[in-house]
Amino acid sequence: MTRTPRSLTGLAAAFLADDGTADWTKAVPRRAAALLTAMPAPARAAVHGAAAAIDAYAVARTGRRLASLGAAERERVMTSLTAHRALLPLLDALKVPLLLAAGTERMLHRAPPAPVSAPEDPPLDCTPSSDWPTRSTADAVVVGSGAGGAMAARTLAAAGLSVVVVEEGAHHSTASFGRRAPLDRFLDLYRDGGATIAVGNPPLVLPVGRAVGGTTVVNSGTCYRTPGPVVDRWLSRYGFAAAEDFGGHLDEVERALRVAPQPLDVLGGNGLLALAGAEALGWTAAPLRRNAPGCRGSCQCVVGCPTGAKQSVQLSVLPDACAAGARIVTHARVRRILTDRDGPAGPRAAGVLARRPDGSELEILSPLVVVAAGALHTPPLLRRSGLGGHPRLGHNLSVHPAISVAGRFGHPVTGRQNVLQSVGVEQLRADGILIEATAAPPGMSSFVLPGVGRELRGELERTERLATLGAMIADRPSGRVLGRDRPLPRYGLAARDADRLLRAQRAMGRLLFAAGAEEVLTGVARLPRARTPAQLEALLDRVSVRDLHVSAFHPTGTVAAGSDPEQAPADPEGRLRGVHGVLVADGSVLPGCPEVNPQLSIMAAALAVTRRFVARTG
Amino acid sequence: MTARGTLFRETMLGRVRLAGETADRPVRLDLQARADSLLLPHRTTLARLTGRVRIAGRADDPEAEGELEISPLARRRIRYRLGFVLEGRRLQLDGWKSVSFRRPLTSMTVLPYTLYEDGERVGEGTLRFPLATGLGPFLAGFRFPRTPEPDAGRHLAPRWDGTPGRTEVWYTTLTDPATGSGIWLHHEVVAPHDGEPAYAHGWFAVFPKDGPPEHARFGPTPWTGPAHGFTAGETRVTPGRLTGSAGPFAWTLTERLQGPPLHTFPRWSWRRPRLPASHMLPAARARYSGTVRHAGGELRITDAPGASARIYGHGNARRWAWLHADLGGGDVLEIVAAVSMRRGLDRLPPLVFLRLYRDGRVWPRRAERTAVGWAGAGRFRADIGLPRWRVEGRAGLRRIRVSVTQPPGATLALDYTDPDGSGAVCRNSERADAEVRLERWWGRWRPEATWRLSGTAHAEVGDR
Repeated sequence: MTRTPRSLTGLAAAFLADDGTADWTKAVPRRAAALLTAMPAPARAAVHGAAAAIDAYAVARTGRRLASLGAAERERVMTSLTAHRALLPLLDALKVPLLLAAGTERMLHRAPPAPVSAPEDPPLDCTPSSDWPTRSTADAVVVGSGAGGAMAARTLAAAGLSVVVVEEGAHHSTASFGRRAPLDRFLDLYRDGGATIAVGNPPLVLPVGRAVGGTTVVNSGTCYRTPGPVVDRWLSRYGFAAAEDFGGHLDEVERALRVAPQPLDVLGGNGLLALAGAEALGWTAAPLRRNAPGCRGSCQCVVGCPTGAKQSVQLSVLPDACAAGARIVTHARVRRILTDRDGPAGPRAAGVLARRPDGSELEILSPLVVVAAGALHTPPLLRRSGLGGHPRLGHNLSVHPAISVAGRFGHPVTGRQNVLQSVGVEQLRADGILIEATAAPPGMSSFVLPGVGRELRGELERTERLATLGAMIADRPSGRVLGRDRPLPRYGLAARDADRLLRAQRAMGRLLFAAGAEEVLTGVARLPRARTPAQLEALLDRVSVRDLHVSAFHPTGTVAAGSDPEQAPADPEGRLRGVHGVLVADGSVLPGCPEVNPQLSIMAAALAVTRRFVARTG
Repeated sequence: MTARGTLFRETMLGRVRLAGETADRPVRLDLQARADSLLLPHRTTLARLTGRVRIAGRADDPEAEGELEISPLARRRIRYRLGFVLEGRRLQLDGWKSVSFRRPLTSMTVLPYTLYEDGERVGEGTLRFPLATGLGPFLAGFRFPRTPEPDAGRHLAPRWDGTPGRTEVWYTTLTDPATGSGIWLHHEVVAPHDGEPAYAHGWFAVFPKDGPPEHARFGPTPWTGPAHGFTAGETRVTPGRLTGSAGPFAWTLTERLQGPPLHTFPRWSWRRPRLPASHMLPAARARYSGTVRHAGGELRITDAPGASARIYGHGNARRWAWLHADLGGGDVLEIVAAVSMRRGLDRLPPLVFLRLYRDGRVWPRRAERTAVGWAGAGRFRADIGLPRWRVEGRAGLRRIRVSVTQPPGATLALDYTDPDGSGAVCRNSERADAEVRLERWWGRWRPEATWRLSGTAHAEVGDR
């Protein structure tokens, strides 16, 4: 049982203007404390420190701590705090975990989710690491069971190799998603409680999944084919030979994931408003292509689809791999790739060493190791294994910086059915800006509601009337992943990309007004609202990129493949340079930003890399 | 580099959980590992495993076999793969110690393993090396025996590389235990000094117990440079086989090598011919069987002791003496004492190369020791003459005295021709007598062993 610090209780009461009139606010501090325990220690310490500091401010001002104050006094303290504009970004950062907890509690108290009937999942051969032998062998070990790892495992197993997939996370069945509250699933399914931070200017939150299925369990299900110009660039500029016949590989991945345009029936108000706004402006927009046939609009993609409609790889690709003989070891974090360094032709992969949750270790010997730990975790893994010698390893990080803008409408927008990410507005895609209508579960949106205290509470009570748009931009590869034991991403937003974000914000505001929004919430703490398009334009003229809440998704490119041995840590066929028997088959192998949601690109690249390996070795 | 292997024993204790059982069972492994190469920690050494596997109540297989991969630094892994029988089922144990520098003791002594039957996992467990009781015997049990030559016939391959002024010899001497006759086969390639084509020739000689020695020459024929051994017309020396004819003689003999190679001269001089010549035996001892036809009939030979030897160099010495004595019980004494033809060296007394192969070891350890001693001091001495010649010397705590008698009636004189055209005469007897006295210092010189060979020593004295 997590003990709730008193300062956190006071902070939640102050932020949410808890006046005792609603039951759901009482449970927020406990849930927020549970959320914090899943976060990395620095983030946890920062939140606790800030809560203690605000408590100290309250003591200095009133002689009592926040938790002991009445609702009116707390409101006065918070008002005086928000008067300091320099503190607004800090208060916004503190809001994120509290809104996550508050959104969940409010939803649970108002309308507990109805039990959904989930179909039985296709069978997987999963073994927890505690039941897996300490010593075993295989023909190929795949590190990571996400988009890339699953595709690699399927290809290698189909070629007759005995394949073991090693996954750090657990296996979650569709039925288990239906039984648990979204926030509980959130803590289980995301690494670091969803608070993976990329240090930089601005700092970015970079959530990545950790489960059998990897981030595909918690993504929105949007399946964009890699744009033709991007593939051409990968081939001609970088010499990424695995991208030859990429169209054929994308076709195969789409078939495996059953990708189709999202039907309008369960699209939800958010998506319909985006379509209406685009139509009013004459912009190109359409329902997204998704891997969720029969989607029922549960709007919980980011915490695991409770109906089993979204064809995450643990429901689509991994069952095929297991049917071909692949086995999955869960709860095993790969510490090192083992190498035999005394061979006549240089170092050669010999297997992996993984750690169980209890600290004990297991080893799997195999002449082929496929690294698919994700673009953030692959570089540290290679460094830990003594394979991080290439000077560009960990560089070239692209992340799709993203911002959100919300519009308030005169009528409820989100109803019982909603597709989480429903409509793509492609008007500005040529400029590297992709707008997607995104309606996340309560509190889980990257959009941060404005205000604190009564203002924030008011916004919370009216979230049903909000439509949310998100925009992600094709960025320059201006980040890098440092670290050995754990990844330390650093990211510096390029000036061109900052301009793109500001353009995207303006475009989303226009779209929302065109759709009939009464008010646009900019997401900027000091300039939160605009009631007319003209007011929005004037307001955004004063906004700089430092004011934006920038999230980031889709890290790629940190072990880029290419023909230039000095620039690319992996060769054109996805083999890590400097060692035999290591393939890179995740987002890190992509030579550059895919410019769209990357699941299909990663899976097609993994398919190409492993298929070429199979063809070469016969 | 001396070809040595590694041999050690290891006992490990532990537990196993077999599939379908709810409790662990004690396990004990008593293994012997034998590698053909020296165990070097920074390299990967493969060894054969034999031994006994015991699983309490289920298995006791004293004939388990498998393999061991020892690579504590290069791969940080010591891997055991061992097949054994459990209640009629053939199981495979596969496990490895994963060496970690942070936990050297634990990682070098703990062996987690998995049991497989036809590739299916049927159990797993952990074995531990018992440091307290096992380390002493384990370390003391390490042996680095000389390994059998991977290809005993490789010493028969011709050494001559086309350089003029070289001579190369394959010769075999043996004593027929049934008749007491000695036999000498000499095969020689001579590459004349003046660049004329090399030619092969030789002879066959028999030393009957009750008569004078007879011999016949074969060749010369042009040297064809076979890949293995010697060929001159019908006369051949190939691994394990000697055939040919010379005058009235025709022979077909098989050769079974026994024992490791024996380098009479320093081993390096065989690999890099820096000395005027080098002499070695592909095997210290050999056994010969077959038939020798001669004018008077046929001699059937069965398991006759003897040896083959090889010489490669610039030519014959100015003066020399040679002895091959099969001392019985697997022991062999080989002596070459020679005065070189080279200017300067020819003024020295005979350099003695004496190799006593006894109980699997060669004494003195270094061939140079008997020839040059310590800068001349303590070198072995030879008194070359006929019918008797002697060699004596001391190395370490042992000294040896060898006295050889070549009976005139059983000695054959033959001419040699050097590559430079000069001649030499050798006087050879395959029915010589020899007395070998070996003494050891223990407060005083005490006899350690004495051998007397009557008519079974092979000896030769040559001069110009």
